Amino acid sequence: MIAKLDAIGEQVLKEISAAASLEALEQVRVSVLGKKGALSEVLKGLGSVGPEERPRIGAAANEWKRKIEDALEVRKGALEAAALDARLQSERLDVSLPSRLPHRGTLHPVTQATRRIVEILARLGFDVMTGPEIETEFLNFDAVNIPADHPARDMQDTFFMGPGVLLRTHTSSVQMRAMRSQSWPVRILCPGAVYRCDSDATHSPMFHQVEGLWVDRGVKMSDLKGVLSCLARELFGAEAKIRLRPSYFPFVEPGAEVDVSCFQCKGAPKAGCRICKGTGWLEILGAGMVHPRLLEMAGFREPGLTGFAFGMGVERIAMLLHEIPDLRLMFQGDVRFLKQF
Amino acid sequence: MRISWKWLSEMVDLSGVGGPQGLAELLTRRGLEVEAIERQDAGFDRVVTAQILERNRHPQADRLSLCLVTTGQGDPQEIVCGAQNMKAGDKVALAQIGAHLPNDVKIERSKIRGVTSNGMLCSEEELKLKEKAEGIMILPPETPLGRPLAELLGRDDTILTLKLTANRGDCLSHYGIAREVAAALGQSAKRPEAPLLQEGGCPITIELQAGQAAPQFFGAYLDGVKVGPSPAWLVRRLEASGSRSINNVVDASNLVMLELGHPVHIYDADRIEGARIGVRVGREGEELPLLDGTQVRLAGTELVIFDGKRSVGLAGVMGGGNSEVQEGTTRVFLECAEFDPKLVRRASSRHQKKTDAAHRFERGIDPQALPQVLARLAQLVQKLAGGRVVGSVSARLDLPRSRAITVAPGWFGDFLGMEVTEARAAAILEGLGCRIEKGGAQWKVTAPSYRRDLSIPEDLAEEVARTIGYDAIHETVPVLTSAPRALSAPESATAASFRLLLRAKELLAGLGLCEALNYSFTSRAWLSKFGMSSSALVVNPLSEEHEAMIPSLLPGLVRNALDNWNRHFGSEALPIRLFEIRPTFRAAEGGLKAQGEMETGAKELWRLAAVLSGPRFAGGLRNELGEVDFYDLKSVVERLFEGLGTRGMRFQPLTASRSGGNPLFHPGQSVEILAGKGDVVGHFGLLHPGKARDLKARAPLWMIEVDWEVLQKLSRTAWEVPAFRAWSEFPPIERDFALIVKGEVSADRISQVALKAGKPLAKVAKIFDVYRSSQLGEGVTSVAVRVIFYEENRSLQESEAETVSAQILNAWKKELGIELRS
Repeated sequence: MIAKLDAIGEQVLKEISAAASLEALEQVRVSVLGKKGALSEVLKGLGSVGPEERPRIGAAANEWKRKIEDALEVRKGALEAAALDARLQSERLDVSLPSRLPHRGTLHPVTQATRRIVEILARLGFDVMTGPEIETEFLNFDAVNIPADHPARDMQDTFFMGPGVLLRTHTSSVQMRAMRSQSWPVRILCPGAVYRCDSDATHSPMFHQVEGLWVDRGVKMSDLKGVLSCLARELFGAEAKIRLRPSYFPFVEPGAEVDVSCFQCKGAPKAGCRICKGTGWLEILGAGMVHPRLLEMAGFREPGLTGFAFGMGVERIAMLLHEIPDLRLMFQGDVRFLKQF
Repeated sequence: MRISWKWLSEMVDLSGVGGPQGLAELLTRRGLEVEAIERQDAGFDRVVTAQILERNRHPQADRLSLCLVTTGQGDPQEIVCGAQNMKAGDKVALAQIGAHLPNDVKIERSKIRGVTSNGMLCSEEELKLKEKAEGIMILPPETPLGRPLAELLGRDDTILTLKLTANRGDCLSHYGIAREVAAALGQSAKRPEAPLLQEGGCPITIELQAGQAAPQFFGAYLDGVKVGPSPAWLVRRLEASGSRSINNVVDASNLVMLELGHPVHIYDADRIEGARIGVRVGREGEELPLLDGTQVRLAGTELVIFDGKRSVGLAGVMGGGNSEVQEGTTRVFLECAEFDPKLVRRASSRHQKKTDAAHRFERGIDPQALPQVLARLAQLVQKLAGGRVVGSVSARLDLPRSRAITVAPGWFGDFLGMEVTEARAAAILEGLGCRIEKGGAQWKVTAPSYRRDLSIPEDLAEEVARTIGYDAIHETVPVLTSAPRALSAPESATAASFRLLLRAKELLAGLGLCEALNYSFTSRAWLSKFGMSSSALVVNPLSEEHEAMIPSLLPGLVRNALDNWNRHFGSEALPIRLFEIRPTFRAAEGGLKAQGEMETGAKELWRLAAVLSGPRFAGGLRNELGEVDFYDLKSVVERLFEGLGTRGMRFQPLTASRSGGNPLFHPGQSVEILAGKGDVVGHFGLLHPGKARDLKARAPLWMIEVDWEVLQKLSRTAWEVPAFRAWSEFPPIERDFALIVKGEVSADRISQVALKAGKPLAKVAKIFDVYRSSQLGEGVTSVAVRVIFYEENRSLQESEAETVSAQILNAWKKELGIELRS
């Protein structure tokens, strides 16, 4: 009987290792370990064996049963692993196919530059203030010390809308609104659209400015320089330097044009530089100390009150930062342009 | 303003400035910006005088000549020439190999029809000496050979072009610039001196009838003057300064202006009627002929020069056409007067005469220099045209001038934030011609009469700072003397709006839209294509394209879409997803007119608008993409409102509009956005197919426009954040219903009825499937609805859900005629 068990066992082990699928393996299991399986059949004949033989045969049968179960387990694991492998193979994707990409939206470079300037200067204590784009001649000109019949009005060719009404030529018009609506100290930034009768590759009839105004006791011209220097470093990099040149704007005295060192040349002007044209400097804004007449008109009579103001063209800054060659691109709504920023 | 280096160096020693480049830097550093430096001999390198020895016909071309030309040195050279006006023996201008002419032509050795030409014989046109020239330039017979042509023509000067600011009228002359340079170099400028004229003996009298508007008038009478051409040096000097030579007398007046900065005028004395001349305010409607041949009709605010009979000049702007110096004039009257800057400016703007004289009077002349200027003019006229001074006359009002400026010397350093010693400040101001009365803690500073721009301490501070150099100003950080203002403070209203504006823009960008930027003005014709018109028109637009302030953002965005389609090549549909948030404009009832100092009568209504078209995704396989449709558009609006925390906006089909709809939108695929008590505050939907056809739109265009001001009001403020809301920890019960809907019942309505009937357990009723088929029958829709029941604080029993479901079914049937699908 032992020999019979051994024969069956050897045979089953062979069948197990030959089983090619989980189904085949299950058949093998049933054929040997099932109720009518070969091992059970053999053990049914145990009754005809003498009692002294029984424990030995029983032990041998259990031994075979354990071996077969182990073999089944091993084989099952192997078959499952192979099946998983096959499934993974069949489920392989071409990961290089294009993704189902949502559209990416962008903010206009003018908005982005405005936001950056506002964020940088907010750290120094400036608040935003805005005003209307259709403005009175008084606030746009007279209130910023450009009286009627003054040659300085030529500096800004103006679109008129009606008697005493115009499209503001600078956001300086907000300055007087600000000063008349609050008391000092004044620390404001005025971003917004402005208009001048001019149109070519570097001039647009509509463009954007950010103006800054700081009025308090004892404000010095060196404070202006410090603020602009900080702005230049944040916008154009830690090495950026500024240079002030004397100039004239009726609403400030002294007045200055402000240049920033070319961020491409970094202190060593290169003849062929397409950003600064080899000069090493980029004109970015106008600035100065608030003209006392503005403070007077605002009703600020406190002695010792001084202030500084500055204004910059946002398109100019954005064009420098993004190396945009033509101002007109900003206003054409061309998706090939807008998507880039 | 063009400044001649040679002329300037007659008035100030320029040997130490480092040439024209150095001078330009010096001036720019002082606030007198030099825009350009132009060497007059630029392009004249290797252009020399030469003589034609032989002129022969070109062997291969009848119209060309072959000239044998010598420069006096070396072998004669063969030059091919196409001109016909030369002959053997002529002196000519030869451009040698390597020359790079003013007209940008480079001279190289070249073969012309088989013959090598060793240079080129130049015309005046090629040398840019004249606009147009026939044939080559023939030089006078006495011309020496082999000499640089520039030197021979006197083109050895350098011209600096200055961009002067409006406050520096004192710099509009060579002497004015010389004064600045001298101050910078510690020199004093040399003014061309002329002996002052003795008063008296003048046959013409002067009358001042305009009060303070014309406070000074100096005149001189000369006899025996001979009008003729100006000498070459004067012609060159005028040309260098950008003027044109007229005759020796007129040129003398222009020279004085360019030299000393004061515009003067010379009359033919015989044409002055009644032996009197004067200044008065013109009469309205008066006609005045000017010397440029035009005639102006006066508004009655201009200053005019009059004689015994009529007006003879527009004061400070241009002389009259009835009194100017002519050929044959022998007696002249010289005028040197002072006119009010504002009146001159008004007259010159009104009559569009932007003359050099007006430019200078507008910016203010030196009121103390008039006798000196007149003397210099008389001297120059006599030098150039002969004659003698018969007599001189003047009239003047004594006006209070130059007030002293009181300033403490220590203030300069404090105000500027730089080191300024008292001695340094004094030296700087005195170097610029100021007088300082020291005594006590305060200085009394009197600016020179020509510095009309110096009137307050800050003006003096600028003089000090620009002389020391702005580079010496320190960099400091201003001190915060008060806490930053809260965003929620009333004074921060516009700051808060600005913040919300950025939030909305960022939300839209996050939804895949790009921000466009269109002009605030467009053409009336374009607006009319949208059935719109503008109540705010620009009075002086650049063109019709920039005439009408926009009443809506959609015409601009639609234009952008059309432009993008027109620029688009290839067969793929173009994704267009653009938005703008900007003001639109209209005039209030009374029109645009200033009321007081701050009111304009304009209404600026900020709007938010967007257009969408093309594929739903930016990338992916084609059969998965699909094109943007109404529900994509709606999702943009809903996400935007959600992101802004907007409450109280309602959507209503355009077909249900009580305000007459909107002809821009497809009535069946568009929505009115309502707020408050049913005010229409915006729309979204499809561009009306009729309009799309008229505009030649290439694809369906989905549009949104909403009142940004209302949207802002109904949204979370810039400083608010969403509050946390707890959710139920107890499991919900879901019930799905398949419904048969007959006729038009909106999905919204089905949900609303369910929620109302199912209160308070039914929390959500959402439509998750809709379909129609012929089996269902005409006008019948199958709608699948899922209702979710739960309570915040306990588990529901199945039986409760059953009860409520029955109530809901009952309501559907009763209110909407909807039944369960069997």
